[in-house]
Amino acid sequence: MDILISSIVAGLLIGMILALVSLGLTIIFGVMDIVNFAHGEFLMLGMYTTLFTAQATGIDPLLTLPLAALVGFALGVACYYGFIRFLLRGPMVAQLLGTFGLMLLLRNLALLLFGSEDRALHHGLLVGKSFELGMGVIIPATKLAAAGLSIVTFAAVWLLMNRTRIGKALTATSLNAQGARYMGIPTSRMNALAWGIGGGSVTLAGGLLVNFWSVNPFVGLLFTMIAFTIVALGGFGSVPGAFFAALVVGLITEIPGFWDFVTYTFDIGWMSDVPMTSFKYTWVYLAYFVIMVVRPRGLFGWKH
Amino acid sequence: METLKNAFDFSDFPRSDLVVAGVLALALAAFPFLSPSSFAMATMIQFFMFSIYGMGWNTIGGYGGQVDLGKAQYVGIGAYTTAVMLIRWDIPFWVSMPVGMCLSVMWSFIIGYPLFRLKGHYFAIATIATSLVLKDLFEVWDFVGAARGLEISPIKYHPPDFLRLIFRDDIYYYYIIFAFFLAGIVYINWFRKSRLGFQLRSIKDNEEVARSLGINVHWAKIKTYAIATAFVSVAGSFHACYIKNIEPEDTMSLDISILIALMAMLGGAGSLWGPIIGAGILIPLKSYLKEWLGARAGLVGIDLIIYALIIMVISAKEPRGIWGIVERVRRRKRRR
Amino acid sequence: MKILEVQHLVKEFGGLRANDDISFSLEKEELTGVIGPNGAGKTTLFNCIAGLHPVTSGRIFFDGRDITALKAHEVARLGLARTFQVYTAAGDLNVEENVMVGCFMRTASRTEARRRARRILAELNLEEHADALVSELPVAAQKQVTMATALGTAPKLLLLDEVAAGLNPSEIDQIMDTIRHLHHDLGITIVLIEHVMALVMNVCQRLVVLDYGKKIADGGPEDIADNPQVIKAYLGERYVAEHTGELS
Repeated sequence: MDILISSIVAGLLIGMILALVSLGLTIIFGVMDIVNFAHGEFLMLGMYTTLFTAQATGIDPLLTLPLAALVGFALGVACYYGFIRFLLRGPMVAQLLGTFGLMLLLRNLALLLFGSEDRALHHGLLVGKSFELGMGVIIPATKLAAAGLSIVTFAAVWLLMNRTRIGKALTATSLNAQGARYMGIPTSRMNALAWGIGGGSVTLAGGLLVNFWSVNPFVGLLFTMIAFTIVALGGFGSVPGAFFAALVVGLITEIPGFWDFVTYTFDIGWMSDVPMTSFKYTWVYLAYFVIMVVRPRGLFGWKH
Repeated sequence: METLKNAFDFSDFPRSDLVVAGVLALALAAFPFLSPSSFAMATMIQFFMFSIYGMGWNTIGGYGGQVDLGKAQYVGIGAYTTAVMLIRWDIPFWVSMPVGMCLSVMWSFIIGYPLFRLKGHYFAIATIATSLVLKDLFEVWDFVGAARGLEISPIKYHPPDFLRLIFRDDIYYYYIIFAFFLAGIVYINWFRKSRLGFQLRSIKDNEEVARSLGINVHWAKIKTYAIATAFVSVAGSFHACYIKNIEPEDTMSLDISILIALMAMLGGAGSLWGPIIGAGILIPLKSYLKEWLGARAGLVGIDLIIYALIIMVISAKEPRGIWGIVERVRRRKRRR
Repeated sequence: MKILEVQHLVKEFGGLRANDDISFSLEKEELTGVIGPNGAGKTTLFNCIAGLHPVTSGRIFFDGRDITALKAHEVARLGLARTFQVYTAAGDLNVEENVMVGCFMRTASRTEARRRARRILAELNLEEHADALVSELPVAAQKQVTMATALGTAPKLLLLDEVAAGLNPSEIDQIMDTIRHLHHDLGITIVLIEHVMALVMNVCQRLVVLDYGKKIADGGPEDIADNPQVIKAYLGERYVAEHTGELS
């Protein structure tokens, strides 16, 4: 029973963080129908930003988050003006491969500058602390804080998109770019803004993630794939959809925990022989494939 | 008979193309006698292999317009089938290669049926997902060596062994893969003019129009996907005998899938020569960049940075690829 | 002999009834026009008949067979072809090859497909364009290529979707000749959606009028032109009232 509850809690916590990871991807997709392969690399850069700033200045990693977000915003806007806008005219395959090129570029720049070793945060207000909820459920403080801040940011971006003038312009662009242009909305600036918000939110997620996840230049791809899955399950371009899909995916990554629960509760011998933890992310891909085939619009999708 | 005639009929290309292609083919045939370095030989063999992967991808991705980013899984199935059969039961390449092809094609039907219910980005990402699932499986499956992979040890055999494709000298591998490469060109030359080839181009443009012209769109895509798979699997089987040391990471990684699609796009997707041109540029570029910048200068990653910049420039500036430029120039000339 | 029979066809998109209880039937070798204001449900009707949309309720018979549940490619193989307003088969291919895509429905042989395509192009006087890309042609010729491609499937019934839209008067004459030729000389039953009244009134033997998804009239061109309901649909209630004195 303990395993079951702690798996669910852990799944939901990681799900909330993954929601913030995938938020940027779904906004960018919604506004300009482009899938960004370099998304995970933005996350990686956010992780490095927080890590190095915290280590260099000695301040708490949580205080470096605004800087991480700023770096991501600037990077996103720069990527849009420097590269992405040239891709928009091309066919889909060129867009996919183009952002894949961006991913390779960022990843290898990081490799060249930072080296390939794993780096982790060892100090900070929350690092190493944890809460015990009883029933054997232990929540690391870093994860809890990350999940909480993630929800706050997510909500803030959602409000920005839905309650402000500029957010409405952004939404209009995502619904119908041509129509928006005729209404006098500067769609190119909106695209850049989407990249800014997308980049900023994911580097922020990186800054949160690095509190309990070590970083190396290759960490991005896994999160890109997870974010793809979440965005597709939530319905491409749907912000609330991404949030709920992220919770689902968070739970899916805890399948090994559930597996252990069934194994020990019912004492099924053969189940304990399966190397379940190796499959942690396989389930995510498998779930993507199965859900897409059963529900091609995504779990909560309404657009497209 | 008609099929054979069409397969060898290149007459719709301008004569200048055929002259260039003929000269290049002769140069490739003579290449091993120009005393190239072993590095150059290895690069050329990679070029042939990736040309075959690219030609396969081009059927579904180029002519059919379905962005498939999961071709690496079939490299894996082909390579592993050949390696497992050779190591465990001493079954020669010429038997295991068709078996691997059948397994790949069967797997492609199984996942193709649901895959092609998806479109656009959903499809592209689903192909990545299936490929990664298979890779994860192979990484824990002891029968195929799990993450350690499999090693064909050449000491056990007596090279040159033409049945098992175990050679000490690369020149044998060179000519065998060259023959597969030429056969691939002939097949694609038939394919592009066949009923399926025409139907695919219609599907790429507009599926509703295609359906109204009596084309079973779903089935046409699945069939083509199987053809693409067969190409990739054959070269994958060859990969096992040539490299002799296969791991999930270097046969089935996403990078391989992307590289395959990228080559075809760089050369010009949806044309006979496109994937070959793309492989001819990217493969030497990649290996020499790595050799000169990465290994010698000690700057890890700088080769891939340059490589990434090239990808970015191409996809932004010339998404129709090199062959697209050639065709545009020609059309302009003709109209004048 | 009825070639097409539509019975109580209903097609809903969400809550919207695009086709509301439409029934009509066509005799073999008839040339019928489907007209109606924009948004009347004409293209939806075509898509339902051609099997591109599943129908909500009602039944469709083609050549004595119930085709209601068939998929588009199955319907096409039975001999029902349709053209689209903007698209030809494939932009990468030249005119002759586009027509071959249609011909490939009946044969797997490239030689045979090419022979048929050439014959059709000759029939429609398009031989001079055979090697051109469709996008390089004038609009009228593009429309003819879409018709030629559909003809490649050797249809018994041809649905033409706005083949005269965007053409100038002399091009419309040209298209009219082509339609008459297909109908008279090749004996193909034709249904066409059209906004160009000159064409409809000149070539059609019969007209079906749709408005807001409902069939409001069905008859010869002369009767339709005088039908007050049709005039109302096109010109509005007020116009009819003022000119017939019904509004007090």
